[in-house]
Amino acid sequence: MGSKAWLVEDESAREMLDRVLTERPFLLLPPLHRVPLRVGNIVEIVGPSPSAKTHILIQAAITCILPRQWKGVNYGGLGHLAMFLDLDCRFDISRFSDLLNHRIMEAANGSSSEVDCQIKESEAQNATTKPYNEELFASCMRRFLYIRCYDSSEFLATLKTLHYRLQKERETHGVNVHVLLIDSIGAFHWIDRGSSSFSLEGDTRKSLHLQSVTETVVQEIRKLLLVHPMLVMATKAAVLGNRYSMNDSKRNYRTWSAKDNLHSRNVTSSDQQVPYREYMPAVWQSLITHRILVRTTDADFVNGEHQNVSTYLSEWLLPPLNSVDKFIVRDVRKHSCFAVFKKKNQISTLSFSCI
Amino acid sequence: MAPLKNLETEYPIIDSNFQNFCASHGIFSVEDFLIHDLYMLAAFAEQNVSSERLKEGITQILSIIDDMHQPWLNGMELLEDAKRNKHFLPTGIQGVDLLLGGGIRVGQLTELVGPSASGKTQVCLQTASNVARNYMMLYLDTGNSFSPQRIAYFLGKTNELASAQAKNQILQKVMSNILCHSVFDIFAMFDVLHQLESNLRCQERGGGCRIRLLIVDSISLLIAPVLGGTSTRGRALMASAGYLLKKLAHQHNLAVLVINHTVGSEGGTSKPALGDSWKSIPHSRLLLSCDRGSNVYNVSILKHPSMVCWG
Repeated sequence: MGSKAWLVEDESAREMLDRVLTERPFLLLPPLHRVPLRVGNIVEIVGPSPSAKTHILIQAAITCILPRQWKGVNYGGLGHLAMFLDLDCRFDISRFSDLLNHRIMEAANGSSSEVDCQIKESEAQNATTKPYNEELFASCMRRFLYIRCYDSSEFLATLKTLHYRLQKERETHGVNVHVLLIDSIGAFHWIDRGSSSFSLEGDTRKSLHLQSVTETVVQEIRKLLLVHPMLVMATKAAVLGNRYSMNDSKRNYRTWSAKDNLHSRNVTSSDQQVPYREYMPAVWQSLITHRILVRTTDADFVNGEHQNVSTYLSEWLLPPLNSVDKFIVRDVRKHSCFAVFKKKNQISTLSFSCI
Repeated sequence: MAPLKNLETEYPIIDSNFQNFCASHGIFSVEDFLIHDLYMLAAFAEQNVSSERLKEGITQILSIIDDMHQPWLNGMELLEDAKRNKHFLPTGIQGVDLLLGGGIRVGQLTELVGPSASGKTQVCLQTASNVARNYMMLYLDTGNSFSPQRIAYFLGKTNELASAQAKNQILQKVMSNILCHSVFDIFAMFDVLHQLESNLRCQERGGGCRIRLLIVDSISLLIAPVLGGTSTRGRALMASAGYLLKKLAHQHNLAVLVINHTVGSEGGTSKPALGDSWKSIPHSRLLLSCDRGSNVYNVSILKHPSMVCWG
């Protein structure tokens, strides 16, 4: 029987598993490390403003652009490209470069001996704005691709031409784009809702209002992920419900009009569901594979240091893990305007880190 | 939204055949292409007689769409732009400069919040007098609070040791560097800002003295009347205003300072006006308060892109 002739063996299951795990590794990005993420996942980071959402994106980008190994030092990154779509238009590149520099220093110091470590720390103190390792820094920064969008038309134009851009970048750098970061997805929500949705020239013409824009965004992302598998992470600013209310979150939710009910659902904390007010249309919500909620808390301080430390709580909503994690973001600034000026002997151990 | 036929002269591939094909799918302008599935359109084009030309037309449209978004930059290019253009403008007020790490940042939108009579306009005028020594600036005044006498007073205080003639010279220079516009509603502000945008674009090619600082005193007075109620127009206008200011700041290297007032909230405390939707628009927010008894003004940071803040 020649039935086996047309079934050509490609690889065994074990080989396939090995290959997939190397090419599409699971990423454990703090503070999202409870759930391993890989390409094809679409993560939504929800939280009030401010709550370290952009910081999480930046750390993910840095993990992506750092190389796995460089000149004998293990940096633990992926060495791939990261793309950042800035819809909020508030991205600060100097902060990004400080964080990248800090991660490089941390990795380099961590793997050297005790003596070298002390020398490097004192060098780091004296280093003002020069990056710790210029060549590595420059090569990492070049792997970070950034674009700003000032309205929905620009965002859609970016998405439509992203396929060609991804191909071009792959040819230029030789590596793929591994993460696509969007900050933040609800940025043009009010502007799009404000534009009228009456149809012109009969019913065949669609206009740029919230529903059509969101549908197109979802469609484009889905198509992109088929050809260029990436990890997509999007932040979303949301107003928290009563369960987490601080001073000003107690508000009466206005009754939504019938038209809005098609677009969003008003979920309260009484049902065992999300404790914030969802405003993205259902088509976007169906695209999301993972969702995490972050918020600030003025809880107890860690180790008694109360300077330049901010505590946040994170909770996975999808997949729903019934646990709340706490993470802190510490401040590292070389040109601090607080009391550090006076204390020259103090080692600047303050660092941006997520634990 | 220009119709497709306007493109025919520049791109002859977009001929009437292509336009008819697009019209049959409900596409009449380039913006319509943004919300249609271009691969489906190409599939439909396959079934058409002149499929090759139609597909070439679609490719041409894609390259036009490629010009509709901002340019892609990598990290090094962004950093170079920040180092070259996005520096700090010192306000002349020691506390504020110290808190912000040098002054108001060019390329960012800074908001100053405070209850009434907490010194917001004074901060604006002091900043104006300081920046106008070296650069031009635009002051959008919504409540007739701009006072040239006050500017002269601030200049006099900082130049106490200079001769009368030098003082006069500085005064003349500063006064001619400040452009003051009165705007009383949000649409007038949009007018002024759009005109500013086109002026700046022309100036970019021509060089010459350029505006570095834009102060809106106060933006809440312009936005509050259109907010509220069940209409979403107000919030759309507010968001558009915010984006226009940020665009001006980043693309034309301006520092933008806007003033907001406070409203009461639950529990008797006060919070910044304009609500949660505005909260995430400015880069930095400063809270100004005044202690009546001791005549001391306090500034604290509510939000900053690179500092951790509380609440």
